[in-house]
Amino acid sequence: MKTLIACENVTKSFGLGSEKRNVLDGISVDIHQGEFVAVMGPSGSGKSTLLYALSGMDCVDSGKVVFDGADFSALKESELADLRRTKMGFVFQQPTLLRNLNILDNILLPSMRDGRKNGVQLTEKAKTFMEKTGIAGLEMRDITQASGGQLQRVGICRALMGDPKIIFGDEPTGALNSTSASEIMRLLADIHQSGVTILLVTHDVRVAAQTERVLFILDGKIAGEYLPDADDEARDDFKAREAGLTAWLTGMKF
Amino acid sequence: MYYRLLRNDMIKGKVITLTTMLFVAAAAMLVALAAILVINLSGAIDTLMTQAETPHFTQMHAGELDLARLEAFAVQNEAVAGFQAVEFLNMDGAQFLFAGGSLADSVQDNGFSVQNEKFDFLLDLAGNLITVSDGELYVPIAYIQDGTAQVGEMVSIAGRTFTIAGALRDSQMQPLLSSSKRFLVSQNDYDALRQFGSVEYLIEFRLHDLDDLGAFETDYTSAGLEANGPTLTYALFRMFNGLSDGLMIAVLLLVSALVIAIAFLCIRFTLLAKIEDDYREIGVMKAIGLRIEDIKKIYLTKYIAIAAAGSLLGYGLSFLFRDVLLANIRLYMGESDNTSLAPILGFVSVVLVFLAIVAYVNGVLGRFRKISPAEAVRYGMSQGKAGGARHFRLSINQLLDTNVFLGIKDVLARKSLYITMLAVLVLAAFIIIVPQNLHNTISSNSFITYMGVANSDLRIDIQQTDQIANKAVEIAEAMEKDQSISRFAVLTTKTFRVKLADGSQERIKIELGDHLVFPLAYTDGRAPAAENEIALSVLNANEMHKKVGDVITVIINGKETTLAVCGVYSDVTNGGKTAKAVFSDDSAEVMWSVITAELVDPSMVDEKIAEYANRFSFAKVSDIDEFIRQTYGGTIRAIGKASYGAIGIALALTMLITLLFMRMLIAKDRYTIAVMKAFGFTNTDIKAQYVARSVFVLVVGILLGTLLANTIGEILAGVVIASFGASSFKFVINPAFAYLLSPLLMAGVVLAATILGTLDAGQIQISENIKE
Repeated sequence: MKTLIACENVTKSFGLGSEKRNVLDGISVDIHQGEFVAVMGPSGSGKSTLLYALSGMDCVDSGKVVFDGADFSALKESELADLRRTKMGFVFQQPTLLRNLNILDNILLPSMRDGRKNGVQLTEKAKTFMEKTGIAGLEMRDITQASGGQLQRVGICRALMGDPKIIFGDEPTGALNSTSASEIMRLLADIHQSGVTILLVTHDVRVAAQTERVLFILDGKIAGEYLPDADDEARDDFKAREAGLTAWLTGMKF
Repeated sequence: MYYRLLRNDMIKGKVITLTTMLFVAAAAMLVALAAILVINLSGAIDTLMTQAETPHFTQMHAGELDLARLEAFAVQNEAVAGFQAVEFLNMDGAQFLFAGGSLADSVQDNGFSVQNEKFDFLLDLAGNLITVSDGELYVPIAYIQDGTAQVGEMVSIAGRTFTIAGALRDSQMQPLLSSSKRFLVSQNDYDALRQFGSVEYLIEFRLHDLDDLGAFETDYTSAGLEANGPTLTYALFRMFNGLSDGLMIAVLLLVSALVIAIAFLCIRFTLLAKIEDDYREIGVMKAIGLRIEDIKKIYLTKYIAIAAAGSLLGYGLSFLFRDVLLANIRLYMGESDNTSLAPILGFVSVVLVFLAIVAYVNGVLGRFRKISPAEAVRYGMSQGKAGGARHFRLSINQLLDTNVFLGIKDVLARKSLYITMLAVLVLAAFIIIVPQNLHNTISSNSFITYMGVANSDLRIDIQQTDQIANKAVEIAEAMEKDQSISRFAVLTTKTFRVKLADGSQERIKIELGDHLVFPLAYTDGRAPAAENEIALSVLNANEMHKKVGDVITVIINGKETTLAVCGVYSDVTNGGKTAKAVFSDDSAEVMWSVITAELVDPSMVDEKIAEYANRFSFAKVSDIDEFIRQTYGGTIRAIGKASYGAIGIALALTMLITLLFMRMLIAKDRYTIAVMKAFGFTNTDIKAQYVARSVFVLVVGILLGTLLANTIGEILAGVVIASFGASSFKFVINPAFAYLLSPLLMAGVVLAATILGTLDAGQIQISENIKE
């Protein structure tokens, strides 16, 4: 499989002097095209920081991140922004929508930056995604007039608008009830089926159990990697996958 | 707890806290200064007029004087407490030779007086009666102050040498608006000078009770006593004395009102931003049962502290500046009796500013009542406020660049926040345009037509001489033949009797001639064109209760003639009570004649003045521009300087507020910016959005400001212009400045401030601001 993101010996620290703490401590990992990857680990282990480093939203102190052949350290701020807009999609724990825009405009926002002349086509595309994600009819609503689950779908639609190669999710189900969380995961699985790479940070075993590969991060280092698919028995049995992962995590002292 | 919250909050937003405090301090200082000046000015005028025993009624008169008849009138009239008829020896300005030059170009009637014995005393700078010795000359303070003459200097007047012994304060003729200036000499010197000038009389009365002045004026007029000259009253002297400093106080009050408005805007903006930030917390406090008063107290405490510190600082600063501003009053009028009251009133006015701010903050905090705890806790914002300007949608926008769209959308969605910036820009446009328009208006040639003076190149006055009518004809004939004169008009002033509604009669000065040659600006109606028409000055029209369309009865050639009032105009000449008509009359005696002329080549004016002055030595020939320069030149220059100052202040203010506003906005919008950046908007995109917001608000601000400047501004400027004596006017606008340069200047400043203020936008880290 082709490598989409190559991360080599990346370090990132916060604070100064005696307060300085290495959040990422020499991490090396590759994410391949078409993969569905979960990053797990205890609070403060560096999961989200890794996600921000891999997506170019945060710069690293040392090491190298290469995305689709482009080395982040060689790119200007505007080129990084272009990359995020054209090849990446993001879904966060909170919906991160702009309150001044209605739901349709929020979905259109990143794609309209370059494509306002194609507004009609983009609007049609957005409506198709809304239909697929089950939020058709909410186009003109304010973001305060939708539930948390609906807003998270709005976030997914927005992430899909640029036909991204990868979608980064930072605890995308963290703020949802179990029903909504399951639906969101089903959507992400469908998107993955269409060929989009997905990398998400989660602390929820049930979410991680639905991915193809789980990276366990501890004290800024990758402490282990779990491949549920390797276990033949568990491959098609969700309960078995979840049990397998739980056992593995227990072994990792999670 | 309040103290800790207060301290943290102030440290966090120290720039805005400091700026707000400085605005409050500036407002408090200006208000305190205005109060201190008002007290000192009114006190000083009272002191001066009490010490000098200013007449309550003065009739200036040129010509024969029947002293016995006047004395008899004074004795018989019960209201009269004192009477004197004193001489004023009017002398040509060229006769006054100072080291700094002569007074030949002075438009003032300069002349000599001796010290009066009963009242209307001329005072020295210590406020004492001047006793003058032979060979000594006391000079009006204005000539000492402007450097024309110096104390100790030897001067030559009509061949006699005098030593300038000092400056004098003249409660009656001192103000610039008074057209005569008295120099004080001894009786012996006066007698020696008498042959070189023409004598005018000041017929002066002091009354037992100033309230009887109105009735006394009527009695004097009805008695048909000497009245060949302007009539002046105590109230007029008081107003003239207070005018220039009064204008300064008016400007101070105007500026302080403006600064208070800006302080209010700063407070409003920071408060609204804070409330929006703390929306959830306020909701939680309400939810857990804190009373609104308790929550308000947390916010109010901060502003009480800012307002108190600012007010005290401002009051302190007023002590630093008050001596500079009081210098003029002290010089011209001396110390006030109630100086001790001034700091108290200054303090009271500062307290009022403080209370106004606290009341305003309390009013804004009233919004807490509307916050629903459930809504605040659930959404962290007001439901009504989200998604304003619903119909302005990205999905249907094909016209505007997306960044421009987002900028404008934000302004429309958060109007209450941007209103602060808009208000500052409107104010700035207003402050830039109005003084400029005012300056343009009063320095334009047409402005004098608002004040009863025709707009021409040359003005020839024939008065205080015999055969005025014949002399006027002589000059007119010369002008008729003069190829360099394109047009001229001879206007002759005569006194007539007017029959009032109650049957009594009053004297009125009517200027006869063709008033269409050099027309004045009429407040209402038009110039008289037919024999049965008359135009009245504003003062006359008000006094007679007449308006355009009414009729008045004038006795012409012994016959009662009805004239229709066809126009009303402002007039500052001859005491402001004049009338204009075109009928012919041979009966009444000519009081004076004025000939106005326009030259084919205006650059020849000096040459023509010399020629006519030389040829007709009985006439006073003057240049209208010179007349304006000397009468209003100082004020025009001062307003000119003030208008450039205003531009500087307005631009600095625009810069400061836009910069602060942008910085606050960036700090407030960190999350939104982070979201945008996360989804691929570049720093340039973000900046473009902020520039779009600024430009949008700027365009609306300039449009509104220009509109207001030309409507409310014109009315406000009218108040200033009315103090010149013109009761109505239209702005003379310089379109290149008002509609091109001023918007460009503002746009430049706003753009620079926006770019500077949004430099930080690029530094916002996505991960720091978006992380869950």
